[in-house]
Amino acid sequence: MPGWALKLSAVFITLFTLAGSFGYASAHVKNVNAPLQPPVADRPAATSAASTTASPIPSIGPLITLRPGVRPPTVTPGPRLTLAPGVRTATLAPLTFTHTS
Amino acid sequence: MDPQLFFWIAARATGLASYIALCLSILSGVALRTSVLDFLAKNRQLRSLHDFMTWLWIPLGAAHVVTLVLDKTARIDPQDAFVPFQVGYAPLQIGLGTISLDIFVIVIVTSWLRRRMNDRLWRWIHRASYAAFLALFLHAFWSGTDFDAPLISAVSWSAALGIGLLAVSRIVFGRLPE
Repeated sequence: MPGWALKLSAVFITLFTLAGSFGYASAHVKNVNAPLQPPVADRPAATSAASTTASPIPSIGPLITLRPGVRPPTVTPGPRLTLAPGVRTATLAPLTFTHTS
Repeated sequence: MDPQLFFWIAARATGLASYIALCLSILSGVALRTSVLDFLAKNRQLRSLHDFMTWLWIPLGAAHVVTLVLDKTARIDPQDAFVPFQVGYAPLQIGLGTISLDIFVIVIVTSWLRRRMNDRLWRWIHRASYAAFLALFLHAFWSGTDFDAPLISAVSWSAALGIGLLAVSRIVFGRLPE
């Protein structure tokens, strides 16, 4: 076999492996059986003192400014929602104040 | 595609491709001193292929390291590419790849300086490629994300076994004269 044919075959094998591996990795981004699982959530260096004390749920400031002596509006509970069978409830914090008037 | 996702996928793809290219380089190198691949080509062609493969696996191996450094999830620092056992997790599995890279860099540089070196010293340094390949294979086996895929596992094991068989044949049948 001539030398150029050997080189061409080697280039083809390498590029075929690269393309095939790229396609496989794209189709299987996450492998739960991978031997190495870098710790993502518990990295101490990535958290600062300010972020450790912060609440995971962003707080919302007061939406209305009340004058002294004025009672805040009362929130009347609305009708209860009945979800369709295909609708799931979210795990977010419930909304307790939906509108102002 | 998200850049971080691209780095992660490219790191895996270039890792396997550089492994295969390196296997072809070592196979052609071992075949130079045995008669196992005489049916395929003469020594001059095999020597040419052995030199040529360096320019295939070096950029792929470099891309494997660079993409892992850029991938924030992998948490590989630039110095981890050359100083082994410094990574915060799985230091042995990743450190074997670092050791392999270090040895291969020495082998390549000394090959470029062969004419200025003692020939006996150069041969012993070049034989360190076997140890480097063993470290590389263990690195791939213990840390390769896709190594459990049947096709990738079969290709990786076949390439390693091919090199092992050629190395054994060289030991058993002896080294052919240059």
